[in-house]
Amino acid sequence: MTENGQEQPGHWLTLQSAGSGSSWGCRIESVGVKLPARRLTTRDLMSKTSHRTRIQLERLTGIHERRVVGPGENSFTLAAGAARDCLSHSQHRASDIQMLVNTSITRSNGRFSQSFEPPLSLYVKQAIGAAQAVNLDLSNACAGMLTGVFLLQDLISRGEIDCGMVVSGEYISNLSWNAAKQIRSLFSKQLASLTLGDAGAAVIVERVPGGSGIDVIGFTTLAEHSRLCLAFPSTLGPGSQMYTKSRTLHRVAIADMAVLAAEAIGQAGIDIADIDYLIPHQTSARAIRAGTKEFVRRLGARPKHVVVNLEEYGNTSSTTLFVALHKYLEEQRIRKGDRVMLLALASGIEIGIAIFTVDSMVDHYGNTH
Amino acid sequence: MGTRIEAACALTRGGPRKVTARGLADAAARACLAQAGRRPGDVDMLINAGIYREDNMGEPALAALIQEDIGANLGEPPVGAHGTFSFDLLNGACGVITAIQLQSGLLCSGVIRYGAIVTSDVDPDAGSHGAAALRPAGGAMLLGWDDGIAGFTDFHVETFPEYADLYTSGLVWQGRRGIRFPRQGAGRHQLVIDEKPGYQDRLADCAEEATRNFLRELGMDMTEVDLLVPAPSAPGFLDPLRERLGVPGDRVAYTPEDLAGTHTTGLITAVQAAIRSGRLGEAGNTLMLAAGSGITVALALYRQASA
Repeated sequence: MTENGQEQPGHWLTLQSAGSGSSWGCRIESVGVKLPARRLTTRDLMSKTSHRTRIQLERLTGIHERRVVGPGENSFTLAAGAARDCLSHSQHRASDIQMLVNTSITRSNGRFSQSFEPPLSLYVKQAIGAAQAVNLDLSNACAGMLTGVFLLQDLISRGEIDCGMVVSGEYISNLSWNAAKQIRSLFSKQLASLTLGDAGAAVIVERVPGGSGIDVIGFTTLAEHSRLCLAFPSTLGPGSQMYTKSRTLHRVAIADMAVLAAEAIGQAGIDIADIDYLIPHQTSARAIRAGTKEFVRRLGARPKHVVVNLEEYGNTSSTTLFVALHKYLEEQRIRKGDRVMLLALASGIEIGIAIFTVDSMVDHYGNTH
Repeated sequence: MGTRIEAACALTRGGPRKVTARGLADAAARACLAQAGRRPGDVDMLINAGIYREDNMGEPALAALIQEDIGANLGEPPVGAHGTFSFDLLNGACGVITAIQLQSGLLCSGVIRYGAIVTSDVDPDAGSHGAAALRPAGGAMLLGWDDGIAGFTDFHVETFPEYADLYTSGLVWQGRRGIRFPRQGAGRHQLVIDEKPGYQDRLADCAEEATRNFLRELGMDMTEVDLLVPAPSAPGFLDPLRERLGVPGDRVAYTPEDLAGTHTTGLITAVQAAIRSGRLGEAGNTLMLAAGSGITVALALYRQASA
């Protein structure tokens, strides 16, 4: 990457990196979540399908339970709750946030099952008191939050802003209930809808001296596979229905992902074995295992740990990476100096990769290592 | 050196088939690239800032489908080439200016070389949501980097959340009543657009305030603005605003009637009008303005003098 629009060497990823001569770097300063209190076990969900399916969902996916919203909770409350939690782990106050990006696919707010205008980010910034922040919503399926970080990284590294927040609130359990009315077998295209759980997540990114912060962040859209996962408003009940060709999606994504990961790792000047924690998008434990195996085969080495938190939360859509990162920070499993790779995989097909080294962020989660 | 508008194209029909948001955006994107003399593969980033669609699809981003339709770097690029990154952005009538701000930065950093912004809106429930029907329209704008002009130098966004309830929209679940036949759905999601009286007056108030604040920040006054390019998304507020700001009619890029009343495409229709009339090329300082729900006002200064 070079300043002022000069041609960069060819990358498949649209790529930003810390070592590109920018005046400033961009670091992840804090992460927050809002998880609904209600839990729904896979056993309970599968006992409520309209047809007798014989699908052993927990064995197939590794999901024991997921959180689901209760009365009064929706995408907005989850997003606002996560934003508040994020601030509680941050040295920043809400008034420091200069840009706030909401990236949830679902935008329910009490009145609307899916709101369009004004953007949900307007209400989130009002709720947390970030009145002066420029706000916008973006939608990029399950890669939304990392897309938001990508955009803020550029604004921060050019010195346009000092501090920004990306937030998402996903109320998606109603997709599970809609799917449960129709699913008959393992081969249903709505099977992936049964893996979903509700969650909110937020992340604050801030300016640091150049050369530090997020090492690399990059994205690309494999648009020839754009129709492998589609979600539309349902006619069965409030919310959407999602149709996924899961096996094809994983097969084509994994094949390209290894090449893209190699590109990002090369840009960071490291090796895959230098990654302490790979946090992939959380779909199913089996898919993550198969993906990691293929990843390792193609890249010739493996990351030290691959994070899977499906058992407790299921697939929480655009929030998965940051829900997982938050959990590992809270449990003090990630330590200062650990190198983390976030790997977003989403309908589109969107593939996004961020590599960063964990720093004093851990101190805000009671970690004294 | 700065971000340059390579081409802008707005239209109300995408072809002989039924008008769809995807079809309109595809047609506008193709026409825009042809105008600019660029190939789809040149686009490094594609942002869709349209909102209302016939199917209200939640995922993937419509931008990914548009990328596929126009054939922009669909798979692994050859060695030394690059891919395309696509996503959707929602900021009502201000979405295009927000997208310009983001892409302008990425062009400045050299992260992208060409950025495309597409828009489209169609009314999935024409006339049934109580508000005026959305006028089907699609638009596209291609941005590149130019060493010879200052380009987009400054942006300004203000929100006035005290007026957030004056324009709201979204899907509302409506359960079906009475006897249901087999295979018949339990209901449907209907689009509701709720525009309250006084919205357009408040738009004018907020747009005036934000414009004055922006000019003050820039140390400019309105006489230094050679051309005002306002998004005609809410046409009722434009003339009062122009009068209050004291801008003569001959320094405003009015959108032709056949493209008036468009929603997220509004700014692109005005830019297209300014390009076609030759006035954008002549103007040294062009002020672009959009105002919409929130109430949000977005402004951008486009300078064609060298930096």
